Amino acid sequence: MTSQTPFLVLDHVSKVYRRNQSLIERIRKMEEGGTKAVSDVSLVISEGETVGLVGESGCGKSTLARLVSGLMAPTQGDIVFRKDPAGKTPRLQMIFQDPYSSLNGRWTIEDIIAEPIKVHRLRRGRAAIRARVEELLVQVGLSPTDAEKYPQEFSGGQRQRISIARALAGEPQFLILDEPTSALDVSVQAQILNLLRDLQKNLGLTSLFITHNLSVVRIMADRIGVMYLGELVEEASAEQLFRKPKHPYTRLLIDAAPNMDTSDRSLHPIAGELPNPAFPPAGCRFHTRCPFAQDVCRTAAPPRKATPEGGMFRCHFDLDLSKEVKTPPLAKVKTA
Amino acid sequence: MTTPLLDVRDLTVTINRDGRPITALDKVSFSVNPGEVLGVVGESGAGKSITGAAIIDLLVPPLKRTGGTISLNGDRLDQLSPKEMRRVRGGKIGFIFQDPMTSLNPVITIGRQLCDAIETHLRLGGNETKRRALDWIARVGLPNPDVQFKRYPHQLSGGMRQRIVIALALCANPSLVIADEPTTALDVSVQAHILQLMRDLHRESEVSMMLITHDLGVIAKMADRVAVLYAGRVAEISPVAELFANPSHPYTRGLIRATPMPTADGGVQLDQIPGAMPGLGAVPPGCAFNPRCSRAQSDCRSVVPPLVTQESSAFSCFHPLERDVA
Repeated sequence: MTSQTPFLVLDHVSKVYRRNQSLIERIRKMEEGGTKAVSDVSLVISEGETVGLVGESGCGKSTLARLVSGLMAPTQGDIVFRKDPAGKTPRLQMIFQDPYSSLNGRWTIEDIIAEPIKVHRLRRGRAAIRARVEELLVQVGLSPTDAEKYPQEFSGGQRQRISIARALAGEPQFLILDEPTSALDVSVQAQILNLLRDLQKNLGLTSLFITHNLSVVRIMADRIGVMYLGELVEEASAEQLFRKPKHPYTRLLIDAAPNMDTSDRSLHPIAGELPNPAFPPAGCRFHTRCPFAQDVCRTAAPPRKATPEGGMFRCHFDLDLSKEVKTPPLAKVKTA
Repeated sequence: MTTPLLDVRDLTVTINRDGRPITALDKVSFSVNPGEVLGVVGESGAGKSITGAAIIDLLVPPLKRTGGTISLNGDRLDQLSPKEMRRVRGGKIGFIFQDPMTSLNPVITIGRQLCDAIETHLRLGGNETKRRALDWIARVGLPNPDVQFKRYPHQLSGGMRQRIVIALALCANPSLVIADEPTTALDVSVQAHILQLMRDLHRESEVSMMLITHDLGVIAKMADRVAVLYAGRVAEISPVAELFANPSHPYTRGLIRATPMPTADGGVQLDQIPGAMPGLGAVPPGCAFNPRCSRAQSDCRSVVPPLVTQESSAFSCFHPLERDVA
């Protein structure tokens, strides 16, 4: 098997959250409605690659993480992992956003980190497991003596290190990180990001990194996918995405986050508000907020276009968005 | 030299833990000039929100203000009776809270909430009160004020709710608005809207603002001067451009470098500060930042550095970073 074989393939994956139907709807046998949280997402992750997913809340990025991790089954489409020669699927671990609720407060750090080792039978014997736990603690920058303690004795950043050690204990080939630093302060966030970067380099992990912070994803990911209302609207290498975004939403999202330049203090809000994901607009989902929207955007869903650099975007037009978009200042928001 | 609108001197807040007082805010001094936006930045636990709450006497026990003076336009706020303080809160000082979900009353329409605030502080007649409330709903950018007037908070989106919170803070024509993490709970695209709205209203009304946030990007865009807090003490107060270009305190520089931001050449810098901020009651002797500081020397470990004013900025460090000679 060569490294060219994709590690993970998402093929037109969709997930619909069903709502409960009323009695009348059930009697009339009306079609079941629901919120399409993830809609027709296709994505390929190669071995050793970190793919970032960004988007605002409600865009379906966490749902996609749950689908990939197997915690939920997709409504449509397939998620296929590459099998190893023995026919096994790769081991997968997840790191969660909130380091306070994702660690069991009644377990010692040793119990927490040893659990995946025991479940997967990666080490035999108490001494070997203990040695492995200590090795992992050192690897994430904690002390071996911390194994006796409980999660409450640690700060948020240290807890996130414990979460990382627990994930690594399962010796995963694939790691899903769902907003791993958004609950942390900047100085601690930088520590955790540097730790994750080192681990990525040393262990050659393949990973899916989910965040709403574009600067964080730029540091961490090789390729980035941008999601809007359940759709993957653009996907490109990190470099390409920031230098030459092809989808207007990507451009506006990059501009919307305030940077630290004090000489240019203009703000760049995206017009309008995020529509309700349960009722996405017809045509291109972004047309209600897009400064380039034409009539065709309101009726026809844009096709998936490939870029020569190996990325893709969903837009009717081939826009040059390498510079900041000058939009007229919007004093008042227009909402539906 | 203008007389400051809000002048806070040696504000000290302690927390009583098992009968033992622990200092949460240690002699914090700063001022807000008329029409100015003062940014207050720091990590969680640095005392940013406590500072905001202490000014309007909204500290939740066991937190208690134990020292210092707070004066607004020459009036000593720290000596007011609770009854007099109620007139200041929402009247002279407006407050924008972080979470628009919990800072509005869920069982009262937003129109009623606005009318209540206007009635209480401005004592206007019924018709005039309603007219003002509708006017404010329109000013903060909500469509169809007549319809919105009768709606409940849960019928609005997070961004719209935060707009109403801003209207509530400003509707009684305060001279100072304290905004405590006004955009932290919001998405980036909505955040930019709210910041734009706050900036527009600030320009129209010339109200002074204290903007508390942990986001240096927001500070860079909104603030005129910035106070950096660390472990309950002021590390540095500087004009915004100077703070980002030439920080004096090593912590300020550490904070700026730790924020993932694309640099001009397209690369991304990311330098971490080792260690973590000391928790309450665990502040080391001397400068609170000394265990994490690369420039720390023996004096930093024994003596608390005083806040030294130098030209337009002030900092509390014995070994400040040299200014780049431009």
